[in-house]
Amino acid sequence: MRGLGESWFRPVACALVPATLLCGCYTGLQGGAGAEGSAGTAGDAGDASAGSSDGGTDTDPQAACADPQVGVTELRRLTQAEYRNTVRDLLGYEGDAADTFSADERVGPFTSNVGAPVSEIQVEQYMSAAESIGEWAAGQLPSLLPCDPAALGEDECANAFIADFAPRAYRRPLQPDELAALQQVYTEGKASGGFEVGVRLVIQGVLQSPWFLYHMEFGSAGVNDGAVIALDDHELASRLSYFLWNTMPDGPLFDAADAGELATEDGLAAQVDRMLADPRARGAIATFHLQWFGVDEVEGVEKNADAFPSYSPALAAAMREETAAFATHVVLDDDGLLASLLTAEYTLSDDPDLLALYGATLPPGHVAGEPVPLPAGQRAGLLTQASVMTRHAHVNQTSPVHRGKLVRENLLCQPLPPPPPDVDNTPPSPDPDATTRERFEQHRADPSCAGCHSLIDPIGFTFEHYDGIGAWRDVEAGAPVDASGELTETDVDGPVDGAVEMAGQLAQSTIVQQCVARQWFRFAFGRFETDEDTCTNDALDTAFTEANGDVRVLIRQLVLSNAFRYRRAEPAAIVGAQEEQR
Amino acid sequence: MKSRIVTPQRARATAPRKPFNHRFSRRAFLGAAGGAAALVPFVPLLSREAEGADGPPKRIITLFSANGTLHERWAPTGGENDFTLPEILAPLAPYQDRLVVLDGLEVIRQGLGDGHQMGMGSLWTGSQLLAGDFMGGDGGFAGYAGHASVDQAIAEVIGATTPYRSLEFGAQTGGANVWTRMCYAGPNQPLPPEDNPQAMFDRLFADIGMDPQGIERLKSERRSVIDLVKGDLESLQSRYGGDDRIKIEAHLDAIRAIETRNEAAVPSCEQPMLDLGFDPFANDNFPQVVQRQIDLMVMALACDLTRVASLQCSASVSGVVFTWLGHSVGHHDLSHLGDDDPTMLDQITAVNTWYADQVLRYLLDRLAAVPEGEGTLLDNTLVVWGNELSRGNSHGNHPVPFVLAGGAGGALQGGRYLDAGQAPHNRMLVSLCQLMDVDVDTFGDNDPGSGGLPGLS
Repeated sequence: MRGLGESWFRPVACALVPATLLCGCYTGLQGGAGAEGSAGTAGDAGDASAGSSDGGTDTDPQAACADPQVGVTELRRLTQAEYRNTVRDLLGYEGDAADTFSADERVGPFTSNVGAPVSEIQVEQYMSAAESIGEWAAGQLPSLLPCDPAALGEDECANAFIADFAPRAYRRPLQPDELAALQQVYTEGKASGGFEVGVRLVIQGVLQSPWFLYHMEFGSAGVNDGAVIALDDHELASRLSYFLWNTMPDGPLFDAADAGELATEDGLAAQVDRMLADPRARGAIATFHLQWFGVDEVEGVEKNADAFPSYSPALAAAMREETAAFATHVVLDDDGLLASLLTAEYTLSDDPDLLALYGATLPPGHVAGEPVPLPAGQRAGLLTQASVMTRHAHVNQTSPVHRGKLVRENLLCQPLPPPPPDVDNTPPSPDPDATTRERFEQHRADPSCAGCHSLIDPIGFTFEHYDGIGAWRDVEAGAPVDASGELTETDVDGPVDGAVEMAGQLAQSTIVQQCVARQWFRFAFGRFETDEDTCTNDALDTAFTEANGDVRVLIRQLVLSNAFRYRRAEPAAIVGAQEEQR
Repeated sequence: MKSRIVTPQRARATAPRKPFNHRFSRRAFLGAAGGAAALVPFVPLLSREAEGADGPPKRIITLFSANGTLHERWAPTGGENDFTLPEILAPLAPYQDRLVVLDGLEVIRQGLGDGHQMGMGSLWTGSQLLAGDFMGGDGGFAGYAGHASVDQAIAEVIGATTPYRSLEFGAQTGGANVWTRMCYAGPNQPLPPEDNPQAMFDRLFADIGMDPQGIERLKSERRSVIDLVKGDLESLQSRYGGDDRIKIEAHLDAIRAIETRNEAAVPSCEQPMLDLGFDPFANDNFPQVVQRQIDLMVMALACDLTRVASLQCSASVSGVVFTWLGHSVGHHDLSHLGDDDPTMLDQITAVNTWYADQVLRYLLDRLAAVPEGEGTLLDNTLVVWGNELSRGNSHGNHPVPFVLAGGAGGALQGGRYLDAGQAPHNRMLVSLCQLMDVDVDTFGDNDPGSGGLPGLS
């Protein structure tokens, strides 16, 4: 895991905003931290922020970026979704093959199994899943085999299957000794139970091989020893497909790698264009936005039935689906602009319950998949969607704090620490005679809370028109909703009235734009950025700005970046309890 | 009161998780057993063999519940051998002579991480956290624990002869991060608990239910696959350095352990009958999950499938809503209410009393119901119940409540209330090792001191 000295957690906007923002918030907490015996940690964080604030922007970017630089990319295991999708594309298996796997780790809000080594139970889970898939595949052999074993001969046909199947599963050409090892597995299986068992064991073995389960990257070096290495063609193809499709490369991408076409920028860009036009891109684009806003598991959110009688798992699923459909529509079918993601006043849902929640109706002659207008002036893109409002709320009421934190942390990349340990952070109970704003004002009356909450609550209160499941309300506790608030410590500071107006301001923000680029980086590589990625990120920011925030341009630029085309492996030092400490 | 998925990091794996599917023939067969409604008493067929020349083996169980307790309602009154159990521990009265209530221990916190993070990471490791990407309550960052946990250190010594070195059971433990992991094979090597009793049932008892020819065929098939996977991993070892090589080697260790089990005889246990037909990820099923996991754990211990087990009830910062006690606020939010708040006092008392009654006492009942040698499985087991905090609303690290129970093969002298006088809890971890005949003088990097807790081992 990384050392604290690295600065990925620093707000990306430090070049634009004085670094005092979060340091001020941290400083307010240092007494509490010290009381827990960890004084100094917060200070370290602040120092690290300040120390790296000149990275990249003050030096000559051209000279500094002449040689490829890239932060350490640790070995990652497939996520559950990657495993599920890969097995689907490899074999046509449509079941949830990963449903018994231990939970995925996350990097920020994005799933990435990059931290801990695998444990015995997880290897057993892989074995069990492979056996289940193998049993299923054995019943599908005629459609899976590239040949007829009766016509060609069983062993010849098995060899042909291995030569077709294993390279696709490993996302690279097969070495002769690997072919021999898999033939050995087939032979042993055939001896024990015949041809079908032999082929089934090959499938089971391949699905348990580290070459299948991990994103293996050696480049031309063959060994990972801490140096920066250029990825080879098939490794690039694999990165492309898991980034843009959340699954393995298809035939044309594999062919492009075979032909060396991915070695050029034009070749890579051509694949990006082709792949974004493919339906598989919709899943990955949806996943990014769902995880970015923390709503990929919104179906797991439970609500108080008295407070929200219309809420149900089915409604939550429709909310999730709406966010997925909306994001993919904007990015892939519409103008692709970040501003549209943040301000569009329509939904892609035709779920009757969700439309009822929005107070919207399908227009006459509505065609499925076309945008449905939402009540005028009430909605602004992702931020005010029911999934987001539901997920970032309490079980029985809204949460200005969670909603404010969402904007600070996920849109502005300005992480806020949780409250100091000795405060009562239980939300005030709903009260028929007091508005949420009145009840939550205590935060800012208490000096120990005000430091951070003055950064959170004025943003969070702008969402007060949306109840705990995202329905619009004009009145709360007998009083008209007051959704006034203020953006501070941003490049679009100023008072705002309501989330729609705030979203319009955020859509103009360079800080937000850069934050979105950082989030895409983390999603693409399954890791946080480091100082060594500064050249990559500067280039991303430039391209994204020049394209007026076109996410498709950002995606293309990510693929062309050094961080995408090169890898730095872990240095050879062995991790240890003491060595890792500062 | 907040939505119970607190952060994406702490959210559960996928939501909503469906109950375990029985998709294929072997599992369909098991499903018939898994769906049976009655818990049939079972006989540990292996117990005679396991006893060996030295009598029954010793076992250890580590048990976790979250968010601290209320010391004033947890601490017994009276002297070391003459004490009265307080409200929270009252359900354990039938076992008072088998308990050591351990008061006054300090869980040392130093280095990286916030109170919950350090409390969880150091609970069984007595050690600091590594650097990492998990943001804590002080605005700083920390990683996983930097040391093996005490259960794994003990398993290293006593776990080699059983099919499983150790078994990690969980109940709604959530995601994969420093808040949700308490067992560690080594630095940065957390062991994920299995949260799904049906999956644990399949893991432990699937092969036991198969016919002898079927099992031999399965073992032979697995042998071929294991050889392939081992070969791939071995060829990769030298191609990686640093943490990446540790990942390859950990995978290799795991596949070798599976290989060893595959080459051993299938234990001749009886396949248990349990009702597992519920969604283990639904809040209101938490009590069922916990108790079925205990059932499975006790069966595994009785059959000598392992001698080291843990049960992690939820995780640090647990947000379980104890609806079955009439609560509507999650455990963590409750624990943060002020000391003058009667709701907090009553409901946190109720939560901790529930753990004493429905978790620890249920476990002790089950262990005591298994005859072994001249006594019961409880006589040969050491149970340790811990928590990542002393108290929820202070996030304190002293006194963190610990209760020891059972016999540890005669090594644990029960019926005592011990005041550790703010000794570092590392001393207790040393004592746990010594009670289990693992000879150490120190445990964990938080305490340079030496030896166990006076009076305990």
